[in-house]
Amino acid sequence: MQVFFQTIIGGISLGAIYALVALGFSLVYRTMGLVNFAHGNVVTVGAYLASTFYLTSKLPFALAMFVAIAVTGVIGLVIERVLRPLENRDFDLMLIGTIGFGIVLDALVIMIWGATGRAVPSPVPSAPIDLWGIRIRTYDLVVLAIAAAATVLLVLFLSRTKRGAAMQAVAMDHEAATAVGIHVGRSNAIAFMIGAGLAALAGGLVGPLLYVSPALGGALGIKGFAAAILGGFGSIPGAIVGGIAIGVLDSFTAGHFQGYSELVTFLVFTVIIMIRPTGVFGERTVNRA
Amino acid sequence: MRYRIGIIALAALAAWFLPYGLDSYAIHVVNVILIFAILAIGLGLCMGVGGQVNLAQVAFFGVGAYTTAILTTKTGWGFWLSAVLALAATIAVGLLVGTPALRVQSHYLGIVTLGLALAFTNWVTNAQVAGGAEGISAIPVPTIPGVDLSNEYLYYYLELAVFAVGLVFGLFIVRTALGRRMRAMRDDALAAGALGADVPVLRMTAFLLASVYGGLGGVLYAGLIRYVAPETFSIANMFLLLGMVIIGGRQSLIGCVVGAAGLYLVRELLADHPTVAQIGYGTVVVLVVVFAPTGLAGLPKRIRDLVTRRRGGQGEAARLQPFQPYETVRPDESGSQSPILEVDGISMYFRGLRALDDVSLSITPGEIRGIVGPNGSGKTTLFNVISGLYRPTRGRIRFRGQDSTGLAPYRLARAGMSRTFQNLRLFGDLTVEENVLVAIDRNATWHSWRYVARPISVLRRDRDLHRRAAEVIERYGLAEFAALPPKSLPYGIQRRVEIARAVAAGPALLLLDEPAAGLNGDEVRQLSEIVRSVRDSGVTVIIIEHNMGLVMSLCERITVLASGHVIAEGEPAEVASTPAVIEAYLGDSMSSDDLPSVPEVTG
Amino acid sequence: MVRLRATAISASVVLALVVAAGCSAPGGDDKKAGDDSGPIKIALVDAQSGQLSSLGAWELKGAKLAVTEWNAAGGINGRQIQLDVFDDQGDPTTGTNLARKIDSEGYIAMLGTAESAVTIAMAPTLKTAEIPNITSGQSPGLVAVGSEFLFLNGPTSTTYDETLAKYIVDQQGIKDIALITNNGSYGKGEHDAFTKALKTRNVTPLVDQVVTADQKDFSAALTTIRQKNPKLIFLGAEEVESGLIVKQARDLGITVPFAGAAPQGTPVFLDTAGAKNAEGTIVSSPYLSNDINEASKKFATAYKAAYNEEAELHGAKAYDGAQILLTALKSSNVASGKPLADAIRGTKYQGLLGSFAFDNTGVGIFATSIGKIENGKLTAASS
Repeated sequence: MQVFFQTIIGGISLGAIYALVALGFSLVYRTMGLVNFAHGNVVTVGAYLASTFYLTSKLPFALAMFVAIAVTGVIGLVIERVLRPLENRDFDLMLIGTIGFGIVLDALVIMIWGATGRAVPSPVPSAPIDLWGIRIRTYDLVVLAIAAAATVLLVLFLSRTKRGAAMQAVAMDHEAATAVGIHVGRSNAIAFMIGAGLAALAGGLVGPLLYVSPALGGALGIKGFAAAILGGFGSIPGAIVGGIAIGVLDSFTAGHFQGYSELVTFLVFTVIIMIRPTGVFGERTVNRA
Repeated sequence: MRYRIGIIALAALAAWFLPYGLDSYAIHVVNVILIFAILAIGLGLCMGVGGQVNLAQVAFFGVGAYTTAILTTKTGWGFWLSAVLALAATIAVGLLVGTPALRVQSHYLGIVTLGLALAFTNWVTNAQVAGGAEGISAIPVPTIPGVDLSNEYLYYYLELAVFAVGLVFGLFIVRTALGRRMRAMRDDALAAGALGADVPVLRMTAFLLASVYGGLGGVLYAGLIRYVAPETFSIANMFLLLGMVIIGGRQSLIGCVVGAAGLYLVRELLADHPTVAQIGYGTVVVLVVVFAPTGLAGLPKRIRDLVTRRRGGQGEAARLQPFQPYETVRPDESGSQSPILEVDGISMYFRGLRALDDVSLSITPGEIRGIVGPNGSGKTTLFNVISGLYRPTRGRIRFRGQDSTGLAPYRLARAGMSRTFQNLRLFGDLTVEENVLVAIDRNATWHSWRYVARPISVLRRDRDLHRRAAEVIERYGLAEFAALPPKSLPYGIQRRVEIARAVAAGPALLLLDEPAAGLNGDEVRQLSEIVRSVRDSGVTVIIIEHNMGLVMSLCERITVLASGHVIAEGEPAEVASTPAVIEAYLGDSMSSDDLPSVPEVTG
Repeated sequence: MVRLRATAISASVVLALVVAAGCSAPGGDDKKAGDDSGPIKIALVDAQSGQLSSLGAWELKGAKLAVTEWNAAGGINGRQIQLDVFDDQGDPTTGTNLARKIDSEGYIAMLGTAESAVTIAMAPTLKTAEIPNITSGQSPGLVAVGSEFLFLNGPTSTTYDETLAKYIVDQQGIKDIALITNNGSYGKGEHDAFTKALKTRNVTPLVDQVVTADQKDFSAALTTIRQKNPKLIFLGAEEVESGLIVKQARDLGITVPFAGAAPQGTPVFLDTAGAKNAEGTIVSSPYLSNDINEASKKFATAYKAAYNEEAELHGAKAYDGAQILLTALKSSNVASGKPLADAIRGTKYQGLLGSFAFDNTGVGIFATSIGKIENGKLTAASS
């Protein structure tokens, strides 16, 4: 029983990170119709920036995160400009175009920060909480709280602000949105900026949990993408549920199947997608003939 | 033609003499390139031709290589026997990995196949039989009596032979019925299904082809490198393969080969500057996707187009010829005819929204039935239910006396139903002739075993299909457009192509969804002539139309739908004076255009 | 007209090819034997891009340092040494390309790779081409290849883990041991070697947990271990993953020490785990720290001066490997092929890792030392 609960805790902790990554995928997809496979590489960039501000510039962790998110957001604007011709294209082209861009980002990361990577000490030094033998890291609670806050803020932004409403309109029908005077290009740029910011948030938060290296984003990207699909691609609550689900699934398969865990995780994922292709919160797309 | 034969002969000659100019390093690189080229052909067939996103090609490659390695080293069976079994194993895995394609497409299929590829590397990393992370070394050299295949120069000829056969077979598929149908499915799976293409079988065929080429590449790899380890089948190599296919041009197999050779060579040349190479390769991929989505293979055509545009006129504009009516076939008037289509109490709900509510219809053979109603009254939904795109929430449909409720569109198409779409669903990257060819081809896809066993009969049949397509195109006056992609044609002509395509499928029942939308007066008159002639040739027609003039003059009976209900049915004049109909139309102030009016079109 | 010209050009190209090739069979590959003038060409093959590029970067730094020192001292027989880097991307296929490439470009010896799979893939070609290779791998699979041209610049897993088991079981008397290893080639090698070492001592592990090489969360495995109350946990994974496991174990309230081979003694491990968490870790390594003796201090200073970063095990191993190769080149008067391999086999060398004397399997060093992480530093254990 202890193993069971501890496994869930471990799964949720990483699941929150996957959820943040998935959130970025979904947000960019729903507004721009772009499946951005370079998102994982943006996570790497964000993680390096956050760790650089934290370790090298000696900023407090929260401030370092904030700066990293801002800088990555700006980088996101540049990326959006490059990827703009790919929006709403045929999926094969988006896939390979964004992968190509990710490869460039990866090489740039290695050029700037080197290939060896760095460890980031935890900014929350206090000991884990012990609940009837189940140990919960305080840092995990911080990550969960930030992930929850980010989601709430995002939902509020989309539903309560004019800019957010405009983005929703673009998501539903970009031609109609143009017709009522919404600047689609700007709306997309902001969506992408927020997506990149979320990537930086995920990357920055995961730094102290894992190890910042050029390979960091690749693994998070694939799991995060799977999470977004599992929750329902393009859905905000879906990204959260999908992220946690993938995290917990991963933890359990690791516990039961040990070395074979990845095999089992992806088999289970495939079966779920085949049973319910639109994910948990996905809209059933209606073929309009 | 002679020019082309010359090129092929030259290429063959160059390939034959290539090893004479290469040192042992270069020949090894060439051997590896040939393997990647074979893999790229498979990926091109699956993704570029079949439109099935396949990120597991590297796993197919791995299954082929690993099975060969395991069988030769663990059981001591000969290389060739192991190779055949490896190919069989790869095909089995390919079909398994392809199954999700029956349910999901596009990015969903992408992540699922990527996940399964990761699952494969995870398995070989763990499994004792696959040697774990250390891999399997000391795979025996394949043997051919009298030829020393451990010599890479001689191995090259073995690979060259496999590659040449693979390429020719791939091109054979692409240019004949199977490839045409796969390309049609890629461009528009819905329309392909409605024309009788068995989409599920086609999708599996795409994965089958990918796995055959993947397996071949794997077997050759095992024989060449004689060592397998999980790293070779990594995601990075999958992306490399994908880059090759996209840069070369995914819709052209030659392009895939050129892409494989080009990208691998460039990477090999830049091997001393890995980071620069990485940035360069990534940038090229992005640039190709943005500026040349058809890849290198598409460049000659783009340049040609550019040159013609620079030179001004595109010669003489092609002209639409008049439609040549069918011969009238009078159905035997032997009294009671059973209805060809019976719609019995159909309801269709979308998340609580009642698009159709208890709709019943009965169509007698040989009639032209009009279905009218304000926007959103459920007309197109009714068509979608009849043609099998939607499974109704309640109710039954009988087509030609058989219960057809919930049958897949392609089964209904095979049974003799054909339709057009409100927003034109032509296969954009196929020519007009190929659009018609897809419709004429009524064979089930599993007949494609003939590609292996009886290729000559495939060619003969294809020639026959072309002849029949030419007749259809001639009849519809489209001869001058036959070789053009429909996207480039004026809207009115596209409409006519779609009708020609639907009728070419040889249906007993033809469903036309707003065929007159966007047509000018003259074109509407021609349409009315075509529909009448098609009916006279023995086809029953149901037509959804907003152009009341056309409906009133063309249809023998009219069914009026409003908010998912049938509110009137009868002869045109009778329906036009029904109070409920007038009310439905007036109540719908948004679509006052749809007001029934006095017939304008005659004849 | 254009077509005609194109045909004519391609025809003449083919004709030229045929003429150039003459009528000989393909493969008349005239071998460029290592000529006696100009620089001595040595190839370093390692991952410089991709997931394993960090290892490749360390190795390059270590080997380069050795070559620079020799060149500064006037080279060998008055000839400079030219060290060229080749990127194998951690990919065996690329490795086989490179094996042919360094053969056809006249390199007389090869250093690297750090990735056993790549080295094994390259071995047959290098054997045929008679190019001696000093690799940084430590997998027993390398020995199994059985090539007389393949040498290891460090001990194999068997040595590491035999030493470790001897210290833990025989000297400390700890028998309640849990295992956590990854399924990569390194982790698998460690798992097998340590289990074997325990078996000869009639010790059965309490739990045997296997994780994947890119796993991030170890809650399940570690909680299972915690329930069995082991006295010590054996850890078989690379630096970063080991660090993560230790960090998460401490968070889960596991206080017993960890034990493992070389990776657990590196700064990357210490940083990833956090110095406090890594405290008490028992390490079996041929290179415990930069200030274990005079030679290592000198090496570390030179390393720091050259690259402005702390030296570590991988750099030291590559440095030793390069030193052995260069010594053998000198003693054999810049031989190549089999004589060079024999010279390497005959080389007795006192290096950073200890004293090297190669046996027939290509392994040159059979001892490691036991160290312990105390106060955030790896120091020799007092047994």
